[in-house]
Amino acid sequence: MNSEKYLQADSSEDRVTGELLAMLRKRLKTTVRPEQDLFTEGMINSMFALELVVQIENAFDVAVEGRDLDMANFRSVNAMANLVRRLAE
Amino acid sequence: MTIEQELADQCRFVDELIGDQASEWDAQAKIPNDILRHLGTQGLLCPQVPASVGGPGFSSLDAGELTAHLGSRCSSTRSVMTSHGMAAWCIQKLADHDQRKLYLPELTSGKLAAVGFTEPGAGSDLSEMTTRISRRGKGAVVDGHKVWVTGASYADFVVVFGRIENGAVAVVVPMSSPGVRVEAITDALGCRAAGHANIYFDNVQVPADNILGHEAQSLPLIITTALSYGRLSVAWGCVGILRACLAQAASHARTRRQFGKPLEQHQLIKRYLAELFVLEQSAAQLCEHASRSWDAATPDTAIKAVLAKQVSARNAAQASAMAVQVLASAGARGSGLVTRAYRDSKLMEIIEGSTEICQLLLADHAMSLY
Repeated sequence: MNSEKYLQADSSEDRVTGELLAMLRKRLKTTVRPEQDLFTEGMINSMFALELVVQIENAFDVAVEGRDLDMANFRSVNAMANLVRRLAE
Repeated sequence: MTIEQELADQCRFVDELIGDQASEWDAQAKIPNDILRHLGTQGLLCPQVPASVGGPGFSSLDAGELTAHLGSRCSSTRSVMTSHGMAAWCIQKLADHDQRKLYLPELTSGKLAAVGFTEPGAGSDLSEMTTRISRRGKGAVVDGHKVWVTGASYADFVVVFGRIENGAVAVVVPMSSPGVRVEAITDALGCRAAGHANIYFDNVQVPADNILGHEAQSLPLIITTALSYGRLSVAWGCVGILRACLAQAASHARTRRQFGKPLEQHQLIKRYLAELFVLEQSAAQLCEHASRSWDAATPDTAIKAVLAKQVSARNAAQASAMAVQVLASAGARGSGLVTRAYRDSKLMEIIEGSTEICQLLLADHAMSLY
């Protein structure tokens, strides 16, 4: 699915969040909550964040680079979803 | 022209340019400037820069084969290539559109660049980095001290990583800037001609536009981004060392006779040759695996680069020791091929994430999978 489709979808917020949650569930083999701080619980380091960068780029057809390479954008599923929506605009 | 033909042409160009001069450069701890400029103007020091900005536009796999070929000839030149290529990669990933259009064509037309990460108190633990970049009006000021910057002695500019505001950035600093002082390291264990140097930045003023991406970013993420390129480049360079050691050991084993027969007919030497082949093949396969991931932009590329680097550097260190053993006294002098390989490969186990740091990253990755 590309970014245009996400912008057009009425429930894009839920769909982005839902796909990110599924992505993390598959990779971490555990369920996370959208607001859960993934850093403080040691679930994400810089290597894994870089893996997420590519996963997000591929899944949502966006480019995460420059100032968006910020660990804060990967702190939680909500933060990742906000990043995706901003880049897709 | 197919990419295979272009790669073959570039490898021939490297052969003609370097020839058998690597030992002399190692002994003198210097690569002639015109050699590096020649490679630079062909874009061969950063082969993955896209054609749209004047680069060769090689895939990671083709760039890797070129890197291995260069590494088999001269690890010092390959180290300069890695540093320069990493600078280009930082610009590709961290800079904005205008900055990419400005800097990347310079890097493919003969200007040389290096990257400054390590500091006296920040080696494996780069979170201890203290180099400070401060905004002042329309400019930025750099204060700090970088050590072991590969290629720094040849560079026109250096991409410096440092702290800014509540995050970190990489900033492009021309080496000619007032306040930049370079202290060459000429007695390095390996890659002696790679232009390693310590750089002091004392109130160095540059335009604020030199800050890649303009705004504060996360130190761990931008470091990991930059190092991923460096790790894969070093890994391919180690494949070059492995191939050079294998070729040299095989040639010696075929021609040297002891106890009435060539060395290759002695079983203990055959074991070394078999092990050299295994070490070369396994490293090359992992590098190819990582490069294919890089080219397909798969999410696990960064950890595959760590795996390739870890195995290739370790294999190169083991293989070069075996090659010295096979050549014996013929491989135990000054700046000869296997002697250089023995020293150069040890350095590869230290840089771009030491063997131990790679092991920690691989352990974390394994734990996340199982």
